[in-house]
Amino acid sequence: MASARMRILVVEDNDLVADAIERGLAVAGFAVDRAPSAELAATALAAERFDLAVVDIGLPGEDGLTFVRRLRTQGSHLPVLILTARETVALRVEALDLGADDFLMKPFEQSELAARCRALIRRANLNTNGQLNFGRLRIDVAGRQLRIDERTVELTGREWLVLECLAFSAGRVVSKERLQQAIAKWDQAMTPNAVEVYVSRVRAKLADVALIRTVRGLGYRLDEPED
Amino acid sequence: MSPKIEPATSIHRRLLVLLLPPLALLMLAGGFADYRASMLFMRTAYDQSLADAAFAQAARIRVADGRIYAQLPQQPPPNSRVNHAETFYYSIWGPDNQLIAGNPQLPAASSHEDNPAYADGWLGSHKIRIVTYRMRTDAGAAMITVAETTNRREGARHFILTSTWLMDFILIDATLLLVWIGVRYGLRPLVAVRTQIEARSPRELRPLETAAVPAEVRPLVDALNGLFEVLREAARSQREFVADAAHQLRTPITGLLGHLDLLTQDPAARGLQMRLATLRDGVARVAHSANQLLALARAEPSANLADHFQLTELGPLIGRVIERNVDRSVKTRLDLGADVGPATVTGSAWLIEDLLGNLVDNALNYTPAGGHVTVRCAGAQSEPYLEVEDDGPGIPESERQRVRQRFYRLPGSTGHGCGLGLAIVEEIARLHGADVTIDTGAQGRGTRIRVQFPAAASAPRGETANNVTH
Repeated sequence: MASARMRILVVEDNDLVADAIERGLAVAGFAVDRAPSAELAATALAAERFDLAVVDIGLPGEDGLTFVRRLRTQGSHLPVLILTARETVALRVEALDLGADDFLMKPFEQSELAARCRALIRRANLNTNGQLNFGRLRIDVAGRQLRIDERTVELTGREWLVLECLAFSAGRVVSKERLQQAIAKWDQAMTPNAVEVYVSRVRAKLADVALIRTVRGLGYRLDEPED
Repeated sequence: MSPKIEPATSIHRRLLVLLLPPLALLMLAGGFADYRASMLFMRTAYDQSLADAAFAQAARIRVADGRIYAQLPQQPPPNSRVNHAETFYYSIWGPDNQLIAGNPQLPAASSHEDNPAYADGWLGSHKIRIVTYRMRTDAGAAMITVAETTNRREGARHFILTSTWLMDFILIDATLLLVWIGVRYGLRPLVAVRTQIEARSPRELRPLETAAVPAEVRPLVDALNGLFEVLREAARSQREFVADAAHQLRTPITGLLGHLDLLTQDPAARGLQMRLATLRDGVARVAHSANQLLALARAEPSANLADHFQLTELGPLIGRVIERNVDRSVKTRLDLGADVGPATVTGSAWLIEDLLGNLVDNALNYTPAGGHVTVRCAGAQSEPYLEVEDDGPGIPESERQRVRQRFYRLPGSTGHGCGLGLAIVEEIARLHGADVTIDTGAQGRGTRIRVQFPAAASAPRGETANNVTH
């Protein structure tokens, strides 16, 4: 099922940058198309199906933000990652308000871009078919089922809530309070210590397939295992 | 609030100094003149009745056989002066200094120009007022002198003095008070302008309210507003310049870094790995320096208007900065963590994130593998602070001042630093009125840098200033 490569449209006018992104995402396993302007991007989107668009704000002609706004008013749910070299809070807020899904500042590392793309596609998949794939983990949110490769792993109700919460924000730090709130729906008398207990149980069940990293004082982050 | 500095020349003070002393002197002079006039009037009235007594004596003088007689009662006539407080004296002298009747000790008013003539004098220990009337008779010149003690005159003088003085005192006080109130009230629009300016933060460049400004200072306020406009424009163009520069620098750097990232992983370039890694490091350093220079430009006070200052919680900010750096700390095997207490400051979230990013960046750079870096905030609203502590090699006391300078790097330090990190921290801290202190870490090891902010204002300063209407 994961054999079909995810397609990404890169909308960036600077050839040097576009070329680097194209190659980097290709190495990360994505199929990449390039469009040097919003107009050409619109044509490409009309003709073919993409899983994600990476859009630079500073495009010639129609700028990236206007492009995203138009996309959303046309009813498209295509996940959009905004790239920008200009940094202002207002811009970031505006981009996210317009319906961009994420925001990445230039210059960035190739691995960071690939990770963000993966996370966005993951989230979009979760929204459309209730499936969340993370490395070798197959999480069926709707069916409450976790598989590693083809093997089913049994989780208790609370363990499931912890994993779901972490997987939904995979690659991002999930605060202890948020985990506590998630589990509290199930069990009112939760203590912060109990969160640690459930996290360590899930951690044991994931073994070496995925890593639940503790970020001291902040929370937990679901990562792919280190090489 | 800034301390109220008394200006070198205060219009308020000048008006009071110019008005109050002359007014007070004028009123004192007026009071004195009143007193003199009342005294003259009183003395004339008393003297007149004393003269009447002398005339009455004169009417009793008879001439017979070329001699003068006086048909006198034992006391002066009771009809004219019934008064137990005063004692009366009299004497009548005929020609050739011959005493006809009365008290021979009584002195006479000596003036020969006035008739009757008046004088003050003494009889024994009594102070007296004397009137002397000279008349001609068929038997020669006669001189009638009547005197009275001055108790009633003294009483009247006291009364006049007291009432004049009291009246004057009340008048002077009332006038001074009125002048003081008038000056104060009259200068109120000026004070309002001053309050409006004082209430602004130094960064605030909004025009001053001109509706209530008096005509005299209107040109001054207009000139100020013109200046604010120029500064606002300059700040705006600087911000735009920074944004443009960021764009111009970052886009090619992104491309370069991206390609170098890929090349270092490319099997075809296996033999060039070392050189590519060096090249990549170099470009990464350029990227970092460009970022830092832009951050510094952003932190310049002129590029920052108070409009961007808002109540900002430090906790979420720490979360974001740490989240950005987790991968890096994993790579360098550092334990990066937070210790978040309640802390709120008035400031620009964007700039404080820059500040914290630089502190964390430094800590991660200078702490060896296996070390710990902790970002802390606490102090609620009253004394909020931000702190980054590591257990690395620390900064020697002698270097703690110098590391704050731009482009200064510790001797022997490695890594990507360009020496701007702490300068940016200083700049942003200064913009927020915060103090940066560099200390040794908890166990006597490492570095602890604390940014102590002032108490958070309940509302952004821009809004406070906006509410001042007069």
